[in-house]
Amino acid sequence: MGVLTRRAVLLATAMLLAGSAGAAPSEYQVKAVFLFNFSRFVEWPDSAFASPEAPFVIGVFGYDPFGEQLEEATRGETVNGRPLVIRRLRDAGEAGDCQILFMHRSEEGRIGSVLTALDHRSTLTVSDLDAAGQRGVMIALATQDNRIRLRVNVNSARAARLTISSKLLRSAEIIDAPATQGGD
Amino acid sequence: MTLGAAPIRGKLMKMLLTTSGIVLLFTCSALFAYEYLTFRQAVVRQVNTLGAAIASNSTAALAFDNPDDARSVLAAFKADPHIVAAALYDRAGDLFAAYPEGLPTSSVPSAPGATGHRFEQSHVIAFEPVMEGGKQLGTLFVKSDLTEMQQRFELYLLVMGIVVVVSAAIAYFLANQQQGQISRPILELADTARAVSDRQDYGVRARPADTLELAVLTDAFNHMLTQIQQSEARLHGQMSRLSLLQQITHAIGERQDLPSIFQVVLRSVEDNLPIDFGCICLYNTTTLTLSVSTVGAVSQGMSSALGLAENTVVPVDQNGMSRCMQGHLVYEPDIRDVPFPFPQQLAAGGLCSLVIAPLIVENKVFGAFIAARRRERSFTSGDCEFLQQLSQHVALASHQAQLHNALQTAYDDLRQSQQTVMQQERLRALGQMASGIAHDINNAISPIALYTESLLEREPDLSPRTRSSLTTIQRAIDDVAGTVARMREFYRQREPQLTLALVDINRIVEQVLELTHAKWYDLAQQQGIAIELRTEFAADLPRIMGAEGEIRDALTNLIFNAVDAMPGGGTLTLRTRVVRGTAEEQSVRIEVSDTGIGMDEETRRRCIEPFFTTKGERGTGLGLAMVYGMIQRHSAEFEIDSVVGHGTTMHIIFPAYTQAFLATMRLPAAQIAPRRLRMLLIDDDPLIIKALEDALSVDGHLITSASGGQAGIDAFTAAHGTGNAFAVVFTDLGMPRVDGRKVADSVKRLSPQTKVILLTGWGQRMLAEDDIPPHVDRVLSKPPRLHEIRVALRELTS
Repeated sequence: MGVLTRRAVLLATAMLLAGSAGAAPSEYQVKAVFLFNFSRFVEWPDSAFASPEAPFVIGVFGYDPFGEQLEEATRGETVNGRPLVIRRLRDAGEAGDCQILFMHRSEEGRIGSVLTALDHRSTLTVSDLDAAGQRGVMIALATQDNRIRLRVNVNSARAARLTISSKLLRSAEIIDAPATQGGD
Repeated sequence: MTLGAAPIRGKLMKMLLTTSGIVLLFTCSALFAYEYLTFRQAVVRQVNTLGAAIASNSTAALAFDNPDDARSVLAAFKADPHIVAAALYDRAGDLFAAYPEGLPTSSVPSAPGATGHRFEQSHVIAFEPVMEGGKQLGTLFVKSDLTEMQQRFELYLLVMGIVVVVSAAIAYFLANQQQGQISRPILELADTARAVSDRQDYGVRARPADTLELAVLTDAFNHMLTQIQQSEARLHGQMSRLSLLQQITHAIGERQDLPSIFQVVLRSVEDNLPIDFGCICLYNTTTLTLSVSTVGAVSQGMSSALGLAENTVVPVDQNGMSRCMQGHLVYEPDIRDVPFPFPQQLAAGGLCSLVIAPLIVENKVFGAFIAARRRERSFTSGDCEFLQQLSQHVALASHQAQLHNALQTAYDDLRQSQQTVMQQERLRALGQMASGIAHDINNAISPIALYTESLLEREPDLSPRTRSSLTTIQRAIDDVAGTVARMREFYRQREPQLTLALVDINRIVEQVLELTHAKWYDLAQQQGIAIELRTEFAADLPRIMGAEGEIRDALTNLIFNAVDAMPGGGTLTLRTRVVRGTAEEQSVRIEVSDTGIGMDEETRRRCIEPFFTTKGERGTGLGLAMVYGMIQRHSAEFEIDSVVGHGTTMHIIFPAYTQAFLATMRLPAAQIAPRRLRMLLIDDDPLIIKALEDALSVDGHLITSASGGQAGIDAFTAAHGTGNAFAVVFTDLGMPRVDGRKVADSVKRLSPQTKVILLTGWGQRMLAEDDIPPHVDRVLSKPPRLHEIRVALRELTS
C-alpha cells in the first residue's frame, strides 16, 4: 500500500507537470475526467439514489483501465452535495447501485448482461467500445482522429429517465438506436 | 425703424443666439458624452452577455475536449459583426478554439488574461471564465471592435450638425421674433418720446408693454409725460391768467372812475376765468360793513336772488369774512359746509365755492373782490393766486383813480380859485379905476352938493318949482355919490359901511318907476313895443332898515333887466307885500316880474356872478352882481323864479323893521347950533374951497383958505401963536407935493390941540380900512355934506 501511495503521488505530480507543460494526457486520464464531467451534464432522478444522503457512485465494471487516475480526477469533488465514490464491480447485479457505470471495451461480452441487470434503472452507462451505443449503452467513448468522441444513445438514456444536457448532446454524436440490444 | 435702433436689436439677437448656441453646444456635448459612456457600457455589456452565453454554451465542448464543437459555438459570434475575434482556452490555459475560422493564432492572446474587460485603442477585449457546476472549465476571450461606436458618433455628429444648424435657424427666427418683445416697446418708447418732442404734444402715451420691467419703464415714461402734461397745463393756465391779468390791468389803467374799473374787472373775470358770480364790495371801517359797489354783468341776474344787489350792505363780523378784512385771501372750497350766514346765503343761490380777495391800499383793506362758482372745489391754487394778484391791481387802480379824482378836484378848485383871483384882480383894477373916477366925480359934485344943500336950507323964498328941482338935484347927487361909493366896493370883499335908515319900500318903488320911466315907457314906445306896467303895493307895508340909494339902484337894475327880457313887449309887474313869520318876525317882499324870454337853469345859476351877461356887448355883467351885493349888505334874501319862454320873477325879501332893530339903529344927529370957529381950508381944488367957504361961512365960522399943502402949512404957521390961530384945519388928502398927511403932521407938531379934518374922495375906503393917518382927527369923504361937517365940528370942538 505504501508503494502504491508513492506511485500515485508521483503520477499526479507527473500529470500536473505534463499538464502545465502542455504534454498530452493519456487516454484514460482524459476518459476519467470525462466520466466525472458526465455528472455535470446529466440529471438523475431522485429514485436513482437509495437515500438523500446516499453518495454519488461511479462504478467501473470488470476490467479497470484507470488505475488511480479516476480517483485523481475526482479527488475532492462532490456532485450536487453528494460525496463521490468510485467502485469496482465484478458482478452485474451491483451495477444498479451506480449512477455512472463504465464498462471497458474488453467487457464487450458482458455488456448485454449488465444492461439487462440494470433493467432501465437510472444508471448512466458508459463504454469505450465504439459500437457500444448500438448495443444499448447510453454513451460511447469513441476514438476518432486521435480524439475521444461521444456517441449518445438518447433512447436508452430516456428509458432510464436520465436527462442529458443539450450542451453535451451538442458536443456528441446522437445514435438513434433502441434502448437495449434486444435479447441478450 | 431708425439707424439708432439697430444696435439694440443686433445686441438682443446676438445675446439670444449666443445663449441658445451655448446651450445647444452644451446639450450636444452632454448628449455626446452620455452616448459615448453609455455606448461603451452597452458594448461592454453586449460583449459580456454574448461572452457569457458563448461561455455557457461552450462548457460541454471544453468538458469533453471537443474543439470542433467549441468552434461551432464560437461561430455564434457571427451574429455580431463587431466581434472581430474570440477564443476559448482550456483549463490549463491553452488555446482551445478560436474565432473566426482561420484566424492566425497571433491575433489572440496566447494565454487568458485577468477576468473582466478593458479597452484597447479601437477595441474592447474581455476574458470570461467558462464555468459549469461551479467549476471553471476554461476561459473565453472576446474582442470587439468599436467601429460601431465611431460610426454611431459620426452619425451623431452629422445629426447634431443638422440639429445645430436647424436650431440656429429656428433660434434666429424666434430671436428675431422675440427680441421684438423687448426692442419694440423700447423703440415705441423712443418713437413716443420723439413724437412728444416733435409735436410738443404731451397727450401722447406709449402703448403698455407686456414685459414687467418694460411695463415699469413705459409706466414711468407715461407717468413722466402725464407730469409734463400737467405741468404744461399748469403753465398754460398760468400764462393765460397772466395774459388775462395784463389785459385787465391794461383795461383798468385806462379808466379813472371806480364803477367803470370794477365793471371792466368783473366782466373780464366773468368771461375769461370764468366765474359764475362776481362782485366788488367797498368796506366801511366805521360801521364794519361791506356795501356791494358793483356786480358783474353776468352776475346781475343772480345777484338779486342772492340778496346782493348793488348798494346792499353786508355786515362783516359774523360771516367769516373778517379774515379777509384783515388782509387775507379767503377760499372756501365748499361753502355749504360753512355755518356763517353770508356763505349760506350764497350757497342758497346755488353757489358752492367762494373766494374773497381783499382790496388793499397802503396796508388798509378798503374793499373785497368776491368770486364764486357753482361747482365745489373749483378754484385751483392758480385761480386763487390770480384773484389775489388781480385784487392787488384793482386796489392799486382804485387808489390811483381816487388819487386822480382828488387831483382833479384839487385842480378844479385851483382853477376856480385862479379864476376868482383873476376876477378879483379885474375887479381890483376896475375898482381902482372906479376909485379914481369916483374921486374926480366926488370932487366935481362937491360944490353942487354943498350949494344945493345950502340953497335949500338958507333960501326960504324959493319957488316951489325951484325947491322941487333942487330937491331932485340933491337926491340925484346923493345917488351919484352912493353909486360912486359902491363902485369902489367892487374891488374889495369887505362889507361897505352902510348908512341905514328907515325906508318905506312902496315910496322907493314909486321913485324907481319914476326914475326908470324913460326906459320902460319912452324907449319901448320908440322901438314900437308895448310894455304894460302893473303895480300891486301892499297898503300896510312895514318899513325896513336900509340904504335907500342902494335899494333904488337895485330895483332900477331889475326893471332894466325885465324890460330887456321882453324885446317883443309884455307885462312888467312890481309887487310889494308883507310876509308874516312868527309874531316878531315879518319880512317885506318886493317882486319884479316880466313875461319875457326867461332863463335856463345854467343862466339862472350864474346870473349873479360878476361879469356874467346875456346881453353881449351891451351888458356889463355887473347889474345883478350889484343887486346881490346890496341884498347881502341888507341881510336880505334873493330868489329867482324863471321859466324859459314864460318869464322871470325876481324876489327880494327884506327883514321888516322891528323893535330888535332899534338898538342897533344910529339916531340921526340933532340939529345943534355950531360955535363960531376959526378954520383953515387947504385944497388944491379952488371950486371945493369956494363951495366950502360959502357953506361954512353961512354957519358963522371964520374961514381962511390955502391952495395946496405947502401954502396951507405956511398959513397955519403964520397964524400960529397969534390971536388968529386956527382951531380947525380942513385939508384935502391928495394934493401935489405936500399932501394931507404932511399937512396934518405939521399942524399937530405946531399945535397938538388943533383939530385936523381930512376931506378925501377916498374917504370911505380909508375909513373902512382903518387907514386914518396919524394926527388926523376925522376923515370926511367927498362930496362933503353940511350936516356931516357940522356933526364932526360939534364932536371935535365940544
